[in-house]
Amino acid sequence: MFSFIITGIAADGAAAAFGGFLDIQFQPARLISDFMSTSGIGASFINAAAVGAVGLILIVLSKVQLSGSTFAAIFTMMGFALFGKTPVNIIPIIIGVYISGKLIGKSFSEYIIIALFGTALGPLVSLVTCELGLSGLSAIAVGTIAGMATGFLLPAIAVAMLHFHQGYNLYNLGLSCGFFALFAAALIRTGGHTFEGLLLWHTEDSVILTFLVPVLSLILILTGLFSGGRRSLKDLMAIQKHSGRLPSDFMDMESMEGALLNAGLIGLAGSLYILLIGGDFNGPTIGGLLTIMGFGAFGTHLRNSWPVVLGVILATLLFGKSLTAPGAILAAIFCTTLAPLAGAFGILTGLIAGFIHLVLVHQTGSWQGGMNLYNNGFAGGLTAAFIVSVIAWYRSKESGFK
Amino acid sequence: MKRKELILHLIGEVSNYLLENNPKRLVISLHQEEDGLHLSVLDDNPHSDEEIEKIDHALNSKKRPELAGYYGAMTGHDMLGASRLKLLGWQVKHCDVSRTRNGIMIDIWLGGDRFESDQFTIPRKEQK
Repeated sequence: MFSFIITGIAADGAAAAFGGFLDIQFQPARLISDFMSTSGIGASFINAAAVGAVGLILIVLSKVQLSGSTFAAIFTMMGFALFGKTPVNIIPIIIGVYISGKLIGKSFSEYIIIALFGTALGPLVSLVTCELGLSGLSAIAVGTIAGMATGFLLPAIAVAMLHFHQGYNLYNLGLSCGFFALFAAALIRTGGHTFEGLLLWHTEDSVILTFLVPVLSLILILTGLFSGGRRSLKDLMAIQKHSGRLPSDFMDMESMEGALLNAGLIGLAGSLYILLIGGDFNGPTIGGLLTIMGFGAFGTHLRNSWPVVLGVILATLLFGKSLTAPGAILAAIFCTTLAPLAGAFGILTGLIAGFIHLVLVHQTGSWQGGMNLYNNGFAGGLTAAFIVSVIAWYRSKESGFK
Repeated sequence: MKRKELILHLIGEVSNYLLENNPKRLVISLHQEEDGLHLSVLDDNPHSDEEIEKIDHALNSKKRPELAGYYGAMTGHDMLGASRLKLLGWQVKHCDVSRTRNGIMIDIWLGGDRFESDQFTIPRKEQK
């Protein structure tokens, strides 16, 4: 977080970075709104640090240990704060999740994962506040109430969605938030609002942006190697053998050092892919890389990821799309949400999952009005449920009795 | 979650694990008190010391409320794929894994803060 603040100030200067940070709080944040494009690199990094701080404070207050799941949550929150999450649009959702837990006698620590990842619907709060024609305090009040209502309903949906794909979609809150956003978007459309497509995509080359994730990855790798020595390498190899199905906390199943090493390698591999295809390093792509690094401690590893990524690449090329187009590049990064399918059912299943994912993810964004930032988690969840249904059906062909 | 559903899910997950090796016999015994319950599941398959240690480690893993409250909902519910005893371990009060003549017996105790397994009418010491 400190490195993000320092990077932000170094990029644009303190005055511009903090001024832009305030500006970000009341902007439309729907997909794809790269804050680097609207408010500058510095402001985006300050916003990411602030959102990460909110998550970390909640983890400390709820006395939950820092583990694979919370590591993934913080990295994801900071990543998506480069293109959609702000402290202002996530806090009402977190409050809603808290109230929901209170109602059924659950402590906040039991719902903290839902609260942290559920902030994917931050743009819904921003939309109600900034885009529906409301003004002043009434806009803020209605936006806050909408966010709290969203958070209140998320735990019920999140648990149901887990059963839908049986843990084979890592970004379960992506599916949950997408499911909720379908209803919210329908309601808003019925009220007369038209969702204008957004594509704010930062394209300027920057040394800071290009080397940020590789440097972070190297720091994680060196931390893992120096603190764990040979054991971290052994644990890294052991991690590659897990399917990654939810919940696979690699820090708990193997070791923190092995998980850090895995996260760092994933960050390097993702950065290398973007460099090789000549893609942009900007808010969404860096956010994506931070997310998959986070999930390097909670389900994603190189062995279960490559078949899904290859499936996305093949589908992109087959349909004549550019690998560097925003939708395709984000799908190639975030499709690792389906890595457990390859981990559990093999390379071919992973390839098919990646292929279907690419086809679906181009549609799901407009279905939910761009309000769910984890659009790839939404498409991934539908893809996983589809594939799991077919596998379960096929396995039911015989009971084993003669 | 109602107690009946909770018990069904616990039985489902632990049975899923033991049924993976296709035992000829699987016995499930349940004893309930107001404050808690004792679930015993026995099979007749051979298990290595290493496997028993792994089961014990998974079932007696550190309590993880952040995972139990959310992912714990998958316990004994989503059966496509390998069983995951850790889902159980995050939620139960205590577990014991012991050898029987032919297989193993997994004892699971679950209950509130007031619950003491030794106060059961089938106390642990009599089980061994």
